[in-house]
Amino acid sequence: MTMTTAPVTGEWRLTKARVALPRLLWAELRWIFRRPRTLVVLGLLAVIPVIIGIALSFADGGPTGDADPPVFVTAASSALALPIGALTVLLGLLLPLTVTKAAGDALAGEQANGTLRGWLLAPVGKGRLLLVKAFGVAVVGLVAAGLVGTTGFLTGLISNGTDGLFTLSGTTLPLLDALGRVAIAVGWVTVQLWALGAVALAISACTEHPMLVLATVLGGVIVSQVLLVFESLDWLHPFLLPASWDALINLVRDPIWWDGLGEGVLRAACYLAIGLSLAYARLVTSDG
Amino acid sequence: MTETLTASAAAREAAAPRLATRTRGLRKVYRSAVAVDGVDMDVPAGAVVGMLGPNGSGKTTTIRMLLGLVRPTEGEVELLGQPMPAASEISLPHVGALVEGPGFHPFLSGRDNLLRLAAAEPLLGRRQLDAAVSDALERVGLSDAAQRAYKGYSLGMKQRLGLAGALLAPRRFVVLDEPTNGLDPAGTREIRRIIADLHAEGVTVLVSSHLLAEVEATCTHVVVLNQGTVVAQGELDELLESTSPTLLVSTPDGQPAVDALRDNRIPARLAPEGVRVDLSATTPSSVIETLVRAEVAVEEARRERTGLEDLFARLTQAGDPEDVPLDRVPELMS
Repeated sequence: MTMTTAPVTGEWRLTKARVALPRLLWAELRWIFRRPRTLVVLGLLAVIPVIIGIALSFADGGPTGDADPPVFVTAASSALALPIGALTVLLGLLLPLTVTKAAGDALAGEQANGTLRGWLLAPVGKGRLLLVKAFGVAVVGLVAAGLVGTTGFLTGLISNGTDGLFTLSGTTLPLLDALGRVAIAVGWVTVQLWALGAVALAISACTEHPMLVLATVLGGVIVSQVLLVFESLDWLHPFLLPASWDALINLVRDPIWWDGLGEGVLRAACYLAIGLSLAYARLVTSDG
Repeated sequence: MTETLTASAAAREAAAPRLATRTRGLRKVYRSAVAVDGVDMDVPAGAVVGMLGPNGSGKTTTIRMLLGLVRPTEGEVELLGQPMPAASEISLPHVGALVEGPGFHPFLSGRDNLLRLAAAEPLLGRRQLDAAVSDALERVGLSDAAQRAYKGYSLGMKQRLGLAGALLAPRRFVVLDEPTNGLDPAGTREIRRIIADLHAEGVTVLVSSHLLAEVEATCTHVVVLNQGTVVAQGELDELLESTSPTLLVSTPDGQPAVDALRDNRIPARLAPEGVRVDLSATTPSSVIETLVRAEVAVEEARRERTGLEDLFARLTQAGDPEDVPLDRVPELMS
């Protein structure tokens, strides 16, 4: 149909052809969300806030001891604190694991299966390939954080009702306001996960072993969290991504403390830019 | 910029026969080892070219450079008249390839794997995907197993699915790296039939293999690689004849025949059923004439066509002294 108008090149009379980007993005999402282990880990993420909610409702209300983090003391009676508390806890390990796994499968896993070749030969350019892969990982991050936020908020509403939207500061919020805060929390956590995902993609582009990506990134997260404990290393802290993860709790205060949250977004943006650049550099220079 | 480049390429090639792929001075060095060195390879349009070579001779590396999967250290590649990898978006949609074995996701069915692959094929419209996948599955005889997960496939089925992936879209050039690996004899025959069908449709095919009988049965041309360089290439028939200019004469009088020929300065030696005569400096008719004059009983004389196996052995091994040394076959070195 377009044969007559498109530029025809060479003796073979070929025309340049390209697949529309949405088709690739859709194919990538279908692949990610049909994967049994993606579904298992997402299911787990959806259930954990419910489990936390149930556990807290059996805790007789009120402070049970000094060991409980204050956000969960509040969460026992506040539908607002539960989703944000759940996001904070899961951001420690399970959410990073979900995103890192997706990034590991995206390039290293596909390389190991020999499936990356299929797309490169179609051809899908390396830049577009990275775009599609980054999109897939980004969606996984959003869905993971969104699930935790949603089931956490619903669990909180069911066990405490809409009038129990207390903040840590002792005030009560209207439902829409609380919903907005949970949405901000989900968005903020998603951005942190994207930062991890970008770094994971960069490592994923360098190896054929998805487990190596997982070990490196999660190892990095854990080591960072350990380093953050030591005050003598405070010169290093601004460079560590988890440095601002505690700031999530500030969304349960009234008014919200934005300082730590804004800094967290900036830090994540830096990781994101560096991670994607490294991934791209590696992809275009490597022999696939 | 690409416009002028391709225009001049077209002008340059107007006189010469069209080539599906053409490499010049191709060289690939991995960290310590030279995988491919100085490969000048021509694949004429419409041919079925068999790429032969022992393991590690550089077949797969060459193919990967043809397809733009690997960057050459030196040298240039043209694929369907387009420089690679710069113009891969023009040439690759028309090229189907099965390289380094089939690569698919174990948890997806054969059909879903192909659908994922088809999604990236520029020549297939969105509404054509299902039909294209069904056709490709049909073509390789996998329709019945299409819904089963790939991880349950036998080696042969995996190989067929890989082939189906190469044939998803209408192709001008199909590259198959060891397509019969893991296939039973029936599967091998089927691959041969598929290659023959492609040939009949005018599609150029490049098949790498170390199974010589397979190549001899399906190819019109061969390229022989050894230790990373091309040691012979050309039409299969020509190569087979040019390497073995011998006449096999069946006779009960072996020794007298050899003596008579040697007296006439025609090199010959005893063979099990008669004598084998070297034809590089003479013709079959003068050999017969000499023998008849010497009153040798000639029962049968036929031009001996060495199998590809012999040719291959000569080209890729330091053979025993009776073999034709490489410098005796200069026509192969071009």
